[in-house]
Amino acid sequence: MNFALTSLRPCTRVYVILMALTLATWLIGQSDLTGIAIALLVLMFAMLKGLLIGDYFMGLKGLRSLWRWAVIVWLVIPGGLISWAFVISV
Amino acid sequence: MHDHRTYPPGDLAIWIFILAELLVFAIFFAAYAFTRVGHVELFNTYQQTLDTNAALANTLALITSSYFVMRAVAAIREDNIKHCVRWLIAAIVMGLLFLLIKSAEYAQHYSHGINLRTNIFYMFYLSLTFFHFMHVIMGMVILASVAFMARRGKYSAADHTGVHTGASYWHMVDMVWLILFPLVYVMR
Amino acid sequence: MKYQSQAVAKPYFVAAIGLFVGQILFGVILGLQYVIGDFLFPEIPFNVARMVHTNLLIVWLLFGFMGASYYLVPEESETELFSPKLALITFWVFLVAGALTVLGYLLVPYATLAEMTGNSLLPTMGREFLEQPTITKIGIVIVALAFIFNIGMTVLKGRKTVVSLVLLIGLVGLAVFFLFSFYNPDNLVLDKYYWWWVVHLWVEGVWELILGSILAFVLIKTTGVDREVIEKWLYVIIALALITGIIGTGHHYYWIGAPEYWQWWGSIFSALEPLPFFMMTVFAFNMVNRRRRNHPNQAAVLWALGTAVMAFLGAGVWGFMHTLAPINYYTHGTQITAAHGHMAFYGAYVMIVLTMISYAMPMLRGRDAANSGMSQVVEMWSFWLMTVSMVFITLFLTGAGVLQTYLQRYTDDPMPFMVVQEKIEIFYWMREVAGVVFLLGLFVYIASFFIGGKEPEEA
Repeated sequence: MNFALTSLRPCTRVYVILMALTLATWLIGQSDLTGIAIALLVLMFAMLKGLLIGDYFMGLKGLRSLWRWAVIVWLVIPGGLISWAFVISV
Repeated sequence: MHDHRTYPPGDLAIWIFILAELLVFAIFFAAYAFTRVGHVELFNTYQQTLDTNAALANTLALITSSYFVMRAVAAIREDNIKHCVRWLIAAIVMGLLFLLIKSAEYAQHYSHGINLRTNIFYMFYLSLTFFHFMHVIMGMVILASVAFMARRGKYSAADHTGVHTGASYWHMVDMVWLILFPLVYVMR
Repeated sequence: MKYQSQAVAKPYFVAAIGLFVGQILFGVILGLQYVIGDFLFPEIPFNVARMVHTNLLIVWLLFGFMGASYYLVPEESETELFSPKLALITFWVFLVAGALTVLGYLLVPYATLAEMTGNSLLPTMGREFLEQPTITKIGIVIVALAFIFNIGMTVLKGRKTVVSLVLLIGLVGLAVFFLFSFYNPDNLVLDKYYWWWVVHLWVEGVWELILGSILAFVLIKTTGVDREVIEKWLYVIIALALITGIIGTGHHYYWIGAPEYWQWWGSIFSALEPLPFFMMTVFAFNMVNRRRRNHPNQAAVLWALGTAVMAFLGAGVWGFMHTLAPINYYTHGTQITAAHGHMAFYGAYVMIVLTMISYAMPMLRGRDAANSGMSQVVEMWSFWLMTVSMVFITLFLTGAGVLQTYLQRYTDDPMPFMVVQEKIEIFYWMREVAGVVFLLGLFVYIASFFIGGKEPEEA
């Protein structure tokens, strides 16, 4: 068993980062900041949060297999598609 | 049995299920983004009628609930059944909070006569959040059954696959929302 | 055969095959009527032949499902069937009711049939696939209830396995959704909305549970793979089937007057309906690869693998081709639909019934585990003849459909329906040839029951 995956300190650290990224996203939403660069930044925050959840909360970090990649692919491909859709909508 | 370097935590069957669910949501997200291309003004306009404060609260609630689930897993790892159950209940309470806030949002929309047929943005917003809502409920049911079985002593430090299984599903529900929130509420 | 009462499956299987022959004979008639319009007119007009063809299909598949259930549930539950006598009574009731209905279609004008059977008391006639007189429908409900009661009581008194529970859920679903055939709203949109609660939620819903459980049973028996492994796969498959199929019903709501969001919901969810079929294919091949024994009934294994593949192709791939709303807008109601419908029904449901018959019949006829080598070879020939000819039927109809969609709808200068029909006639002729080969394959299949009977058991 990989105890290191989910021992307390890393997971609390991840929690704090997730909250911070969320607040940042919300602040951007509250402000007048718009435009493709901002939108993509917000999306990146989302992808990062997803990656953190996947690696640390779901316990996928360190897995050598396609299961970890499945979640990463799930973040990258739709993320890429969404980015593309936003770029061409400008 | 399971090679822990290869397989994710929890029952493999739930992971296939998780991937399938992620696939549906991914397609829905992509559909939203690409439909938006043809209706940018409309999407931007109506997006601003959404309650980002409620969404923030919801996001924080879900992330916190996922954290609580993590703590529950850590607890059972140390054979601490009591704490495991407590953390799970805390997670469920957070989930309930999510449902309440979201329901309040829906009530608001409904009172303004907004429904699936109002316009294409609202159709997506309502559909996406509704499907997610249903998954939050399902996740809570799963967590509740895990808590129930933990209370009856079904899990231990040596064998707690069921807890991992339920936890993985809940993290998926959280992860989906983490994409949904910025995509539908913020990005423009 | 472990339990004596499993023997009741035999008449069900025999009836199924007999009605299958009837179905295909009428299919060949229909195919010819496509190109020689007044063939057998006025004795058997096209619409009557069509009713017979489609109704026979459903009825023989139901006989097949019932036979499969009567065979596998006692074995799974490790106890005799609750009431073999009830099973035989319901057999005859169903067969006679079915025969009378088909005779009614053929011998009497439909309107007269409606009058004769008191349709005006509770009107349920007149809709595609649900043309049966109300009294027949009531008969079907009674037969279904008796059947489920019998099977349910058997499961209750014995061992409860995942296979039998999934099967039971599928069968109960089948019965429950059939009740919607009694609901006949005046509003055309509602009429069509609920019609699909029978048709879609059957073939893209609860029938998939029946299919999955029978396939799992046959694979457990023929490969010897651990039951738990197979049962886990079954759970995943049916979960995917229900997740994608229930809201996937929306892919029938695009153009009937339902709200527009169905074009989105239907497209997104139904696009994923091939997934469970894909998993079924991976599952079947995986189990056979991991087998712990070489079962003497190789024909049954061939049918099982063939079912998974053809179901994936016919239901999954061909279904996907026309499931997205923007595409369906052009292909709706064309020969594309017919192409998908034929391969899907054959691949998923015809083949699973034939798989079960292939597995069970030798034992129902007194053999240990399988037919002789000679008999199996003939049976396998029939597998290939029917399957390959069905592929060609589908390909020809797809060709016809693509051309039809383009000429009648997509092009800048759309042509009228009959003009286009004339242009695609060549495809119909080719389809008919393939259909005749299919019928030949069916005859070979029947022959396999009478060949090599005296030969020894295959090792």
